[in-house]
Amino acid sequence: MEIQELNALSPLRAFDQSLNGGLGKGNLGVLISRHGIGKTACLVHLSTDKLFRNEHVIHVSFSGNVEHVINWYKEVFRQISEGRSLADAASVYNNLLANRVVMNFSQENVPVEKVLSSLETLIRQGSFEADAVMFDGYKLTVASEDDVRKIKQFALDMRLEVWFSVSPVRPDVVFDDNGVPNTIFKYKDLIDVLIGLKYNESMDKVIMTLVKNHSKTDPSPMRVSLDPKTMLISE
Amino acid sequence: MSEMSKMRNIGISAHIDSGKTTLSERILYYCNRIHQIHEVRGKDGVGATMDSMELERERGITIASAATHVTWKGYDINVIDTPGHVDFTIEVERSLRVLDGAIMVLCSVAGVQSQSITVDRQMKRYRVPRIAFVNKCDRTGANPYRVKNQLIEKLGLNAVLLQIPIGLEDRLEGVVDLVGMKALYFDGPKGDVVRQEAIPEELLDEALQKREELLDSVSMLSDELMEAMLEENVTEELLRSAIRKATISLQMVPVMMGSAYRNKGIQSLLDGVAAYLPDPTEVTNTALDLDKDEAPVILQSNPDMPQVILGFKLEDGQYGQLTYIRIYQGKLKKGDELINTRSKKKFKVGRLVRMHSSSMEDISEAGCGDIAALFGIECASGDTFCHPSLNYSLTSMYIPKPVISLAIVPADKKSSDNMGKALNRFSKEDPTFNSFVDSESNQTIIQGMGELHLEVYVERMRREYKAEVTTGRPEVAYREAVSQRAEFNYTHKKQTGGSGQYARVAGYIEPIEEGPEAKDYEFVDQIKGGTIPNEFIPSCDKGFQTAIKKGSQLGFPVVGIRCAINDGAFHPVDSSDQAFQTAALGAFREAYEQAKPIILEPIMKVSVSSPAEFQGNIFGSINQRRGIIVSSTEDSNGCVVEAEVPLSEMFGYSTVLRSLTQGKAEFTMELAKYGKVPASIGEELKKAYQEKRKKEQGR
Repeated sequence: MEIQELNALSPLRAFDQSLNGGLGKGNLGVLISRHGIGKTACLVHLSTDKLFRNEHVIHVSFSGNVEHVINWYKEVFRQISEGRSLADAASVYNNLLANRVVMNFSQENVPVEKVLSSLETLIRQGSFEADAVMFDGYKLTVASEDDVRKIKQFALDMRLEVWFSVSPVRPDVVFDDNGVPNTIFKYKDLIDVLIGLKYNESMDKVIMTLVKNHSKTDPSPMRVSLDPKTMLISE
Repeated sequence: MSEMSKMRNIGISAHIDSGKTTLSERILYYCNRIHQIHEVRGKDGVGATMDSMELERERGITIASAATHVTWKGYDINVIDTPGHVDFTIEVERSLRVLDGAIMVLCSVAGVQSQSITVDRQMKRYRVPRIAFVNKCDRTGANPYRVKNQLIEKLGLNAVLLQIPIGLEDRLEGVVDLVGMKALYFDGPKGDVVRQEAIPEELLDEALQKREELLDSVSMLSDELMEAMLEENVTEELLRSAIRKATISLQMVPVMMGSAYRNKGIQSLLDGVAAYLPDPTEVTNTALDLDKDEAPVILQSNPDMPQVILGFKLEDGQYGQLTYIRIYQGKLKKGDELINTRSKKKFKVGRLVRMHSSSMEDISEAGCGDIAALFGIECASGDTFCHPSLNYSLTSMYIPKPVISLAIVPADKKSSDNMGKALNRFSKEDPTFNSFVDSESNQTIIQGMGELHLEVYVERMRREYKAEVTTGRPEVAYREAVSQRAEFNYTHKKQTGGSGQYARVAGYIEPIEEGPEAKDYEFVDQIKGGTIPNEFIPSCDKGFQTAIKKGSQLGFPVVGIRCAINDGAFHPVDSSDQAFQTAALGAFREAYEQAKPIILEPIMKVSVSSPAEFQGNIFGSINQRRGIIVSSTEDSNGCVVEAEVPLSEMFGYSTVLRSLTQGKAEFTMELAKYGKVPASIGEELKKAYQEKRKKEQGR
């Protein structure tokens, strides 16, 4: 299969459709769940889809292990390309790499200004015209409102989409039926898209619920869900 | 000769500037082999290798020698030198092959750096058990706990603390040994006297807690220890033996610490080497039986069996030509007869010596597992020497192909003679270094793994061989490839009286799909019905192989290509091996232009570490060099930028980087892959190549 066809058939088209065409530049999107549900895989799939469509992505991680992140991308790419028998996969992958930078902060509690200034340095001095920034494992639920506001402003100034994958760390967090913790709602006004991930045992699937979709705030289930075996978004 | 259980062959590997040289010197000192500790100070990352070589030469001590023998509390320890810079990875890999265990030196401030990752990968490939030594605990910002965590996170090692520091930074006094539960202080101006004391009150809680962690980790790997823990009967001896087993089986990496510069923790590290690193019998080594189609054979650490010996390093030093050997099987005596299984030449063992740090000792016998050196043996490094009854070769080592070349011109006749000698020696010592005379330009070309690699050899020519040479611009070793399939149908016909030549070949050439196991060249025979007789099929293969040695775009080898034949014709009298070879060659040239040939260039994996404030400058410098930023990691110490940059753009980068970062950044690079050259640059290269050819033809 050629790459154009692969993109057209991607379950991510249905994902975008649910969001009325996508998150959109200048906006913040959040994937949220309990720990260990597969939100990193989900985020990497979103990111890989953008790379497939020739967009530039910065993946921000806070893990201390870049190799780990890179392996996620390799694995997600392998799943997609093998699943669709992508033609000339190895050289497609090499082309994707040119459009992805992993930015890793292994410092405890790195201030948000520092992260944003590094991103800006990369975009300006590294001439890397990013279309999206993926924050993997950002502790959004304990960030200050001011921090979130700064990220929002950054997204607007730089004209890019910002996605977060979030798992609350505190043990006293209460999750609702959609897998969304109560601690996130204080930022609801700053977030443009909020998606909750929750494992459903009887269906053996991770259900994705659109809790907030731009101006719409009544939760609705998405057409796509997360396959717990491949950890990919599927229809 | 000592018992094998008290023999250790170890290497010391480290990132530049983490204090390897200082640590090596301290080890030699405490083993009573050198009498004064020399200091190595002040150098900037990239130049360090050269600086320390210079220093070593002036001091006349042979830390740079391939293997130095020392004794520690009845143990015979061979310290095998492992060079620090990635440009010399082949040397690192060759020394990894002969050592049984290693000390991995890490700076307590900088922690796991880019090069530690490279070295770690190599150690994993050769399955080398190791101890981590967190050095420089006296430095401001020292944090051995953070380094331990990095070993776990960044390298995926099961790192376990065996010690905790007593004080840190300028208050470092010694270490607490968590195995024996005592405090160790290193007294006297050079730390010669090890004083054991009870653990200081204020550290007792922490020590108990860390010992608990140690016991937990080790008992996961040892049932014996687990049982003893349940019975609350853990002896020091039992714990040591469990740590030893887990270390040797690569399940854990003990972490020790100190400061070589302040003479703290070295003796306990030596005790650790004796206690936890394997003796030669505990490591499995395999050879390939050349008589049995390279079937693997497990070597026995048995002194009574026929010898299998590896010549791992040649050295042309102050004592003449030395071949360093490691004995894997059997023992070696003066007068023994051996065969070099590569050259098939037999020779008698003449002088057998052992290298100490400042002297050389003649020995009459070297035991199984030992490391020694031979005088005056005609061989290349990596050759295997066997008892004449065996025909084994030790596993062929992974040897990367050179990526860069440099034309060198001797200043006068004398230099020219000396240069010849030097090149002969270097290419024997180092398989990643080549030299040849280019038939078109008549220039001597040297090839290697990087700019610095070649610079070092040019410098060595000057110093050691008094050969003054001028060098040309470094040239990148490009490759050529095809980007699409193209058919050919080519007839080679020649009638010039006597027997003629006739051959026709038809088929196609196409790129081999990229992938980790993709070959450089593949020949496919799809001939049906004998249109080309079987006897001439290999001739076609040979013809293609000749053709791909030099592509028509830049004269570089063509790689990643499949050549297939599916039809042809022959003549009962005029067809010959030569005719089909020529036909294949012609067919290739015909198809090559149609197959949209492209140029490939070496892309280097570049890792730059620097203080965070220079991050932007580094991004910019990589961007200017057609580089791709792969990742950037920031922590409290600064940032590390990993990128992929074409080698052709990296010339002189060390100078640029120094000026961009006030000399505060350092970088390493190694070959990542070959990538396509952008069309515009490809055109320029082709034009330059055509002009060069014209000039040479005009001469």
